[in-house]
Amino acid sequence: MSNYILKYARDERVKYISHLDFIRTFHRAVRRTDLKMSFSQGFNPHPVMTIAMPLSVGITSDCEYIKIGFDGDYSCDEIMEKLNGAFPPGFEIRAVVLAEGKKYDFAQLNRAIYVVEAECNDTELFDAEAFMKNQELKVMKKSKSGVKESDIRPYIYDLSANVLSKDKLILTMCVAAGNEYNLKVDTVIDAMQKYTQGFSVKFFAAHRKAILAGENELI
Amino acid sequence: MSYTQLDKMLMKVQKPTRYTGGELNAVMKDAKSVDCRFGFCFPDVYEIAMSHLGLKILYHLLNEREDTYCERVFAPWTDMEAEMRKNGMGLFALETGDEVKNFDMLGFTMPYELCYSNIINMLDLAGIPVLAKDRDEDMPIICGGGLCAYNAEPIAEVFDFMTMGEGEEVLNEVVDAYVRWKKSGKGSKKDYLREIAEIEGVYVPSFYDVEYNPDGTVKSITPNEPCAKPVVKKRIMKDFDKAYAPEEIIVPYGEVVHDRVMLEVFRGCIRGCRFCEAGYAYRPARERKAETLTELCDKLLGCSGYDEVSLSSLSTSDYTQLKELTDNLIEMTEAKKIGLSLPSLRIDNFSLELMEKVQKVRKSGITFAPEAGTQRLRDVINKNITEENILASTKMLFEGGWTNVKLYFMIGLPTETHEDILGIADLSQKVLDEYFSIPKEERAKNINITTSTSSFIPKPFTAFQWAKQDSREEIINKQDTLKAAIKSRRIRYNWHDNKISYLEGVFARGDRRLLPAVIEAVKRGCKFDSWDEHFKFHTWLEVFSDCGIDPDWYLRERSYDEVLPWDHISIGITKDFFIRENEKAKRNETTPNCREKCAGCGANCFGAGVCNE
Repeated sequence: MSNYILKYARDERVKYISHLDFIRTFHRAVRRTDLKMSFSQGFNPHPVMTIAMPLSVGITSDCEYIKIGFDGDYSCDEIMEKLNGAFPPGFEIRAVVLAEGKKYDFAQLNRAIYVVEAECNDTELFDAEAFMKNQELKVMKKSKSGVKESDIRPYIYDLSANVLSKDKLILTMCVAAGNEYNLKVDTVIDAMQKYTQGFSVKFFAAHRKAILAGENELI
Repeated sequence: MSYTQLDKMLMKVQKPTRYTGGELNAVMKDAKSVDCRFGFCFPDVYEIAMSHLGLKILYHLLNEREDTYCERVFAPWTDMEAEMRKNGMGLFALETGDEVKNFDMLGFTMPYELCYSNIINMLDLAGIPVLAKDRDEDMPIICGGGLCAYNAEPIAEVFDFMTMGEGEEVLNEVVDAYVRWKKSGKGSKKDYLREIAEIEGVYVPSFYDVEYNPDGTVKSITPNEPCAKPVVKKRIMKDFDKAYAPEEIIVPYGEVVHDRVMLEVFRGCIRGCRFCEAGYAYRPARERKAETLTELCDKLLGCSGYDEVSLSSLSTSDYTQLKELTDNLIEMTEAKKIGLSLPSLRIDNFSLELMEKVQKVRKSGITFAPEAGTQRLRDVINKNITEENILASTKMLFEGGWTNVKLYFMIGLPTETHEDILGIADLSQKVLDEYFSIPKEERAKNINITTSTSSFIPKPFTAFQWAKQDSREEIINKQDTLKAAIKSRRIRYNWHDNKISYLEGVFARGDRRLLPAVIEAVKRGCKFDSWDEHFKFHTWLEVFSDCGIDPDWYLRERSYDEVLPWDHISIGITKDFFIRENEKAKRNETTPNCREKCAGCGANCFGAGVCNE
């Protein structure tokens, strides 16, 4: 068995597919090719596969990672070509590498960059610099142990805002992501509303631009 | 990145992929380049709709035509409907997202009676007047089909036309005629309907006048147009082996009810259970060759990536090439680690061995449908299964390590007595005793028997179409009797809600006078009637009362000389045959299946399938 890391993108057409549905979609795509997936041992064998960071429903992405085992020595180009031919429209594999040793360990991934288009009551009310000067940003946040208050300020590494119109902002943010601390766009928006008087966001659409290991891309 | 009004709605609802389309193998065409935009409407939510075999077939069949674009149109779940109404968005098709109000034709399939409120609601949501007579020439043509179309009289006046029987040919014929009519400059809609009324299997409700007797029964159903046939006969695919079967299948993102490749091994049924509308309506039984099915299976697995295949038919064990087919499929699926499920199998040595082969690890539940608790009543309904069969089979199962057995029965069957009800408890107990008769070391642990009862509903085009349906009180009493009679804690008893069966019974043998009530019920919020959480029984009762309708009247026993609301439709089986069957039922006499001996039902008029063997 050889493990490969795949980098793929998801566009508007497939942004509502949930994490579990995506896993099924991926299995089916591989089955449509002649690539031989490795299966786990045991009573209910399932394909050997890991997704780096589940993507929330409604978010598009340029940079998702998946690790998958194949029984066979395929070239990275062959895997990319075959899977791109088998995916439903809206998914695109952008890079494939052979995973050797710890070089592509998903545990290193700890940041994500999002671009967010937000519809607000008044864009002039929000000042990104002032917002980032807050010493703490305490908001309710969902974690494995339930919903509780958390100071998210240390986990926002960068945030900037571009005014598109009176009611539209483009936000670019780099935030903590992954197993250690995962900050969702919703939570950042909650903090923006809580710490900017009179400011409210009616709707937003987000796009994950990158998942990083520190400052660097995995592939 | 950008977003639309639809995105704002989708972020608020459950399971947004119900509404986004774009699944693998969904057909994408340029809508401007076709002559006919057809909406295949399924009056239930996505997960049910996408499990429907008829939709899979007809969707791809229509899309093979260059002049037609067939899209899927489903009932939005209540959360999405609320969003749509709030935002002024009309019912839309999944492929293009375009509103269906501007389509050429909308075809509703009617798999069960309780979908009627959803059909009305979908038209309303689309901004289309519900009654055919209220729609002007610019509105889409609304048609209907499917099993319930045989007596969709309660909502017949909604449709411009309906098709009777299997749709593969007749749908192409009505679309051919539509395209010709449209290109000729579109005369009146009535001209089009007159033309297609000549086609076998096409029923134009507005071309028939229904008169009633003072006692409320139907007096006559008379054509009011020369083109309208006195009796509309159903269509079938004579050569089922060569009948169209799509080689592609749409693969949903979210999980649907039947999320797998379905192979339709045969259509129809040789058995002749006297209560079963599907069994009679799809006659004569016609098979597909094992070779054809094997090839098809390979193609469908290849294009979908599905990891499960299921055989589809009314009674898999009656398929004459079962061994050959399953040998082929086991070989194919083992290599690809694909699951094979074989529903509707009768349990015998062959099928047990088969199940051992396909279920190497897990022993899933096995279902039996004795339908009645005593041999006498099983003979009445012509259910060809004996107590010895069931006990011998369950013994085999228990010895083979199965411990999960489900037993399906009906209550309220014609001639049923107290003993028949107790017989259900008795038979369940005997199955349990079989388990305990096996030495402890030879049986698996944790026996689990589930006994379920549904309520018998007399259906049109069956031997019991004249029968009285039990009142709700009678059903509740029988359920209580059974609850008390089941002693063992190892047997779990499930029963079907009497209120839903009641409404289904009213519609099943209903007539055109029910339509105002259906429209009013939808106005008062009734929809998704087959869903417990949405079924508003009290609203229905109020509506019937306000509309001056006595629903109980529709459940009464009828006489042979009464004109039935569906007498102008023919499924190819004679009324004489149904009368003979009903009389035999009263004498506890059985009728052999089609392969043993032809019972002369009349379906040989089609000259197909088992009638030719």
